[in-house]
Amino acid sequence: MKILGLDETQNMLKSEGYIGDRSIAMSLFLAMQLQKPLLVEGPAGVGKTEIAKVLAKALNTRLLRLQCYEGLDSSDALYEWNYQHQLLHLKMMEQQGIETKEMETAIFSDKFLLKRPILEAITQDKSPVLLLDEVDRADEEFESFLLEVLSDWQVTIPEIGTTTATHKPYVILTGNRTRELSEALRRRCLYLWIDYPDFEKELSIVKTKVPEIDVKLGQQICSFMKELRLLKLEKTPGISETIDWARALASMHLKHLDQRIVEDTLGVVLKDWQDMRHTQDALSELLEKTGVTSRIG
Amino acid sequence: MAISTNITYQTELSANLVLFCRFLRNKGMVIGVNEEAEVLTALHLLPISREIYFKEALKIIWCKNKYHQQKFEAYYLEFWEQLEKATAAKTKKLADKKNSNKKQRTKEAQFESLKKWLNLNPSEDEKEIAAHSDLEVLTKKDFSNLNSEEMQLIWRLLQKEARKLTHKKSRLQRVSKRKKQLDLKRTIKSGMRNGGEIQQLVYSQPKEQKLKLVLLCDVSRSMELYSRFFAHLIYAFQHAHDKIETFVFSTALYHVSEILNNNEFAKAFDTISERVPHWSGGTAIGSCLQVFADNYSYAMLDKKTTVLILSDGWDTGSPVIMKNAMQTIYKKSRKLIWLNPLSGNPNFNPEVIGLQTALPYIDILAPAHNLESLKEVLQQLKSGRKSVKW
Repeated sequence: MKILGLDETQNMLKSEGYIGDRSIAMSLFLAMQLQKPLLVEGPAGVGKTEIAKVLAKALNTRLLRLQCYEGLDSSDALYEWNYQHQLLHLKMMEQQGIETKEMETAIFSDKFLLKRPILEAITQDKSPVLLLDEVDRADEEFESFLLEVLSDWQVTIPEIGTTTATHKPYVILTGNRTRELSEALRRRCLYLWIDYPDFEKELSIVKTKVPEIDVKLGQQICSFMKELRLLKLEKTPGISETIDWARALASMHLKHLDQRIVEDTLGVVLKDWQDMRHTQDALSELLEKTGVTSRIG
Repeated sequence: MAISTNITYQTELSANLVLFCRFLRNKGMVIGVNEEAEVLTALHLLPISREIYFKEALKIIWCKNKYHQQKFEAYYLEFWEQLEKATAAKTKKLADKKNSNKKQRTKEAQFESLKKWLNLNPSEDEKEIAAHSDLEVLTKKDFSNLNSEEMQLIWRLLQKEARKLTHKKSRLQRVSKRKKQLDLKRTIKSGMRNGGEIQQLVYSQPKEQKLKLVLLCDVSRSMELYSRFFAHLIYAFQHAHDKIETFVFSTALYHVSEILNNNEFAKAFDTISERVPHWSGGTAIGSCLQVFADNYSYAMLDKKTTVLILSDGWDTGSPVIMKNAMQTIYKKSRKLIWLNPLSGNPNFNPEVIGLQTALPYIDILAPAHNLESLKEVLQQLKSGRKSVKW
């Protein structure tokens, strides 16, 4: 296993185009060193999932992703037997006249095992990155099941036996607090809270992701977003919205914002009807605060 | 035991870390021996010459939620400051001792007042009333003049009521192991993957409809008469089901579900009154609701959640804040019920400005000053909002 220092971790994030502050690099570094899962929480669209993707890319290893949802159970997370395939195989073996015992060992073999992300993660030759996305959406039962896996790194399949991880995966859990996670799960993880970025950080993210953007336009977009987040909105836009918007405006080769452009492209940033209306009402004020002189008419 | 006052000078870093850890535990953070060991391992790997790295590492390993992570900076400063003081002179020790005695005394006083507040030793005239009470009278009796025995009785009734409410049967069916009712649809469906051949029967039973509830309880001085009763109510609710989140507020908002879940009644409220410095202080309902709307509404409110606010509506803050907060909560919830014990009085008129601002966003305003009226409200919990007001 490649052991990274703190500075290397920071450089790694930077080289993959992830602009983060020191605490992000520090928590990734500690998570790797202490071999503990990292629980990342924060509002939607601040780059929680991105951390796992960047980490996998930088370590040049596989990213296994398990999207959690209500009703997710262990068969979706661990393994399932390929039932149809087994049946067909059984029929074929019957015709060949193979003994029952042999048939049994044949159908319960790796060939018919459908590995789901968690089992997949512990059977890799090189430590992969395991992303458990939006873990707070899963049921409490699933959370308890995770406790066991996250501490022992082994999975028991009755027909085959116990598989223990030879290379512990790097685990990233994300959540945006749809439900408070249990204290037990929190205790097994390191914790990182990511908030909306400040102006400078957001600007450098925009510059990295949309290099073709005009300098002034980038600045205006970021300060507009900053003001926009101060409004009481139903769904506050995240960094991904900023990037989308910057891309959209850059593709139109614009040099600066004005009221009409903002009005026309607001749908890229806001995804809620009430928010749209609310923002349109406050638009001139917003643009004034941003430093864009509004040109009405 | 107030550990924070026992900070003494230690030469070893690890010893200081253990002290800091105990200090944090005292602040309500859960840190095990494992976490302590991890910090020591982590410090090995870091360039310790820079304090910022040291602080960051402690923060990431020890803080397990957003609240603690935000508070960590302040705790950190407070601890090292105290440690420096401890290092400064031996004479300090004496002063500290005095200080700790003082703290002990204030704590005792706090406990006494709480005991009084919970009315574990009722005053004389209240005892007199108790002699005549039976269940019939009890249901109509105002909560502000109950004694502890009646309280016990009511508490039991409440618990029963709360349990009944939170375990309502839904019309949806779920797969069951109990062989009571055959689920033909699912049986056939499960047969489909075997080419239509039915191999096993699937049974079903009604799904349980979990009541999702958020309780916001006012514990300011104006509510003092009622809050000891409401304390029982929130405790009963919190223990009836796990999908219930409880907050108390006076000048600030506190999330207390965890404390209520893990402790028995007296201990839980002892802990809460200790953590909530303004217990029975003034009220800032508007800003407290705003804090709830900003930080928790996204996580805890949805169209299945009923919000129950227990307060008299005496707000000292600006009505605009109150309006915004109520609007957010109303929009995001299934139903908003405001229990105001004062409205049980026949002369009551919701003239309080706080309540006036909140009124358009309240689905039900009920008195809940005695058991009978409370039962009525609890019935209302089951149904959703009839029509959207605006």
